[in-house]
Amino acid sequence: MKLTSILRLAAGIAFAGLLTISARAEDPLVIHVGYAAIGVDNRPFSEGTSAATARAGEFLEKEFANDPNVKIEWTFFKGAGPAVNEGFANDQLDFAYQGDLPSLIGRATGLKTKYLLASGARKPLYLAVAKDSGIQKIEDLKGRKIALQRGTNGHLAAIKILEAHGLKERDVQVVNLDSAATVAALTSKDIDAAFGDTQLINLAAKGSADVIYTTKGDDPRFGRNAGIIGRQAFIDAHPEITQRVVDAFVKAAQWSSDEPNRAALFELWHKSGTPVPILEEYFSKDTLAYRNSPLIDDLLTSQYAEQAVKSKEFELVRRDIDLQGWFEPKYLNSALQRLGLQKFWQPYGADGKPAAS
Amino acid sequence: MAAISETSGHAGPRFSWPSRKRIGIGLTAFILPVALLVLWWVASDRGWLAEQILPSPVFVYETARDMIASGEILYHTAVSLRRVVIGFAIGAALGLSLGVAMGLSERVEDYVKPLFLAFAQIPTLGWIPLLMLLVGIDETLKIIVIAKGALVPMALNTFTGIRNVSPRYLEVGHALRFSRWQRLRLIVLPGAVPSIFTGIRYGLTHSWTSLVGVELLASSEGLGYLLVWGRQMFWLDTVIVAMIAIGLVGFIMDKSLNNTETLIQRWKKGEA
Amino acid sequence: MVTTTSQAVRFRRGITLPILLLVVWEVSNRTGIVDPRFLPSLEEVVRAAKRELIDNDLLGDLSFSLMRNIAGFLIGGVVGIGFATVLALSRIADRLVMPTFNALKQISLLAWIPLISVWFGFGEQAKIVFVALAAFIPIVLNTYDGMRAAPDDLIEVGRALKFNGRQRALRIYLPSAMPSIATGVHLGLIYSWLATVGAEYFLAVGPGIGGLVIAGRERFDMAMVMVGVIILGLVGFTLNRLAYSLESYLLRWRPKQNA
Repeated sequence: MKLTSILRLAAGIAFAGLLTISARAEDPLVIHVGYAAIGVDNRPFSEGTSAATARAGEFLEKEFANDPNVKIEWTFFKGAGPAVNEGFANDQLDFAYQGDLPSLIGRATGLKTKYLLASGARKPLYLAVAKDSGIQKIEDLKGRKIALQRGTNGHLAAIKILEAHGLKERDVQVVNLDSAATVAALTSKDIDAAFGDTQLINLAAKGSADVIYTTKGDDPRFGRNAGIIGRQAFIDAHPEITQRVVDAFVKAAQWSSDEPNRAALFELWHKSGTPVPILEEYFSKDTLAYRNSPLIDDLLTSQYAEQAVKSKEFELVRRDIDLQGWFEPKYLNSALQRLGLQKFWQPYGADGKPAAS
Repeated sequence: MAAISETSGHAGPRFSWPSRKRIGIGLTAFILPVALLVLWWVASDRGWLAEQILPSPVFVYETARDMIASGEILYHTAVSLRRVVIGFAIGAALGLSLGVAMGLSERVEDYVKPLFLAFAQIPTLGWIPLLMLLVGIDETLKIIVIAKGALVPMALNTFTGIRNVSPRYLEVGHALRFSRWQRLRLIVLPGAVPSIFTGIRYGLTHSWTSLVGVELLASSEGLGYLLVWGRQMFWLDTVIVAMIAIGLVGFIMDKSLNNTETLIQRWKKGEA
Repeated sequence: MVTTTSQAVRFRRGITLPILLLVVWEVSNRTGIVDPRFLPSLEEVVRAAKRELIDNDLLGDLSFSLMRNIAGFLIGGVVGIGFATVLALSRIADRLVMPTFNALKQISLLAWIPLISVWFGFGEQAKIVFVALAAFIPIVLNTYDGMRAAPDDLIEVGRALKFNGRQRALRIYLPSAMPSIATGVHLGLIYSWLATVGAEYFLAVGPGIGGLVIAGRERFDMAMVMVGVIILGLVGFTLNRLAYSLESYLLRWRPKQNA
């Protein structure tokens, strides 16, 4: 195990020695899958999404188990969504789980990607404050020091929440920190507040911070979205492989949506280091099918359209984002049909209500 | 560890009318940058280079213009400069005192230098997480890190400079019955000036590097933050503008140090 | 003025402060004057070191960091000496390239991180390229200066002997630039170690000592951070020693100068 990674490092060195960015000529096809998050203590796992299930349950690996020529390589990014964009930009990633804002930023900058299926959409966001910070409601954040990871979907969601309470991003002092650094800074009271999810619930459970607000149960439009993004050049070159990758993700979504699996699911996600009770809390009052739906329904597309407008309005992107042709439901629909799952998930309309199908 | 001097190829500026040959040389210097710029422009214009790998120079120029007009660049530069000035002043003063103390007294050297050298082996960036635990992520952290960047080269070069003062001068001092203070002021320090200047130059470079490092890790303003910001938002144009700003500040600091150095040396010669 | 003190006395003096420091550390920890979260006991640091060494593959982290460092340093060094030789020997190349190089070197090393990350991605190559860049700059500067300072009479001799470019480079410029190159190599080693840490901080997560220190800070594990920092220092020290031996080896043929 260690030896192979050292060998890989040696290979990397030889590669860098040539100083070329050209694609490696490889006999076996390696599918590079990225994930815009990383587990506790940098474990190469995550939680809370069907993509995390696919990883921990090895759905992709099983899909290609009989193809010795296809290999799956997962990369988890501490730098979250923005780091995934870098991976897409230099063709080191073929697919990735990525949040809404970074994928829109990528689209605005000209990355050639497709949105293949939803995963980790409708995620709630939490606001935690440092002990004794005296912050009781969102309005109190004015002038305080808040941690955000810029360019992630949490960034956009946070601004939307601030805006709904009469605050602008400029009214607070934003410190750019990743998720693990945020936990450290909140515990040591270096910052006053932070937006996030399970890591903050965990912190509150340990008594090191207080969660004072969550979008859960509030207007669902405050939530965050994410999905599986594919690199267009890869999709065009390998449509069958893409189909099978989507199949695997859909199967993972199905398994993650089956209520009888709830306990097993949290146990699987626990590989990321997040305690099971925290995950239970994170998913309380939500059905698994609601949170793990892969559907590109009207609610999802309208959410992305709104995020696009908002990110322009908040000057997070400087050009209009054209969503035309970005959503590619072809592979998803084919998977749903072949797996007999057309009726498995309830589609929602743009108003957030179940759509009559 | 002996003091290491980063030799830089600047000769002292001496004013004279540029000859035609000189102008030729001056123009040659611009061939490569202009060629690169044209290549860059054509490459991005024709789409050979994806925008997410390198945005077009026009775009970078527009961003730079907007950021200058809005005062954003100036603001972040000012924040960074303020940090460097304070941190460097503290670090350089401490380094100078430590260097003088170690240089003048062998006893102090014996006691302090091994420990000091041990600390100096740790790269400045290595200290940041430790300091973060101790003092948090606020201004104090930045100042300490920058000061540390300046302290080590300053102390080492001052020390070597003093030790390298020719013993002959010291004998003259003895013969003239100079007091300890006079010896320090009239013989030792002037003799060590070139080496101290190397320390200053080095210290400033280190401070500047450390500043960018600490601003990359935890900050909400400053040029390093601008870099992170641009990187996170995938605005490579902003990243490049920030890089240019960092380069310009570095250049100006380097140039003004050079000029001061020449001035002092000329003044020393004039006095002699 | 400088009296020579015996080695034993110097040694005794040298270890006084470190020992004093350790005693103060231990005492303040035992008596609880300082928060153990900020200053763990010596024992705890040793325990953390043992834990990292045995359970957590500290040596693996170290070898990853060292390999990155050495690979980057070698690439930067070889390319740097070659680049500087061309600049020093060719007037045209010098006039064309040197001003641009001088302008670009003003950009602080760490400011290259975002572009390198986009250009070279999240693999090893990005880190190695960054380390190579760190070594490249001081090596180029010093090699160049050293070669430009080659004594005129030697160059004359080369001309008289009708040396070709390769001979001139290898017989005249390279040997006379040796001390300067050695300085460059020394600086390159120091900077490349700094850059290795920087790469592990700011580029993608991977095994390495820099990652270990950051993880320690995120876990509030001061003992772990200290273990990491001590290792950073030890490696820095070793590299420095190595550079000195290399320097004296490279310069062994030179008559001792009034150092």
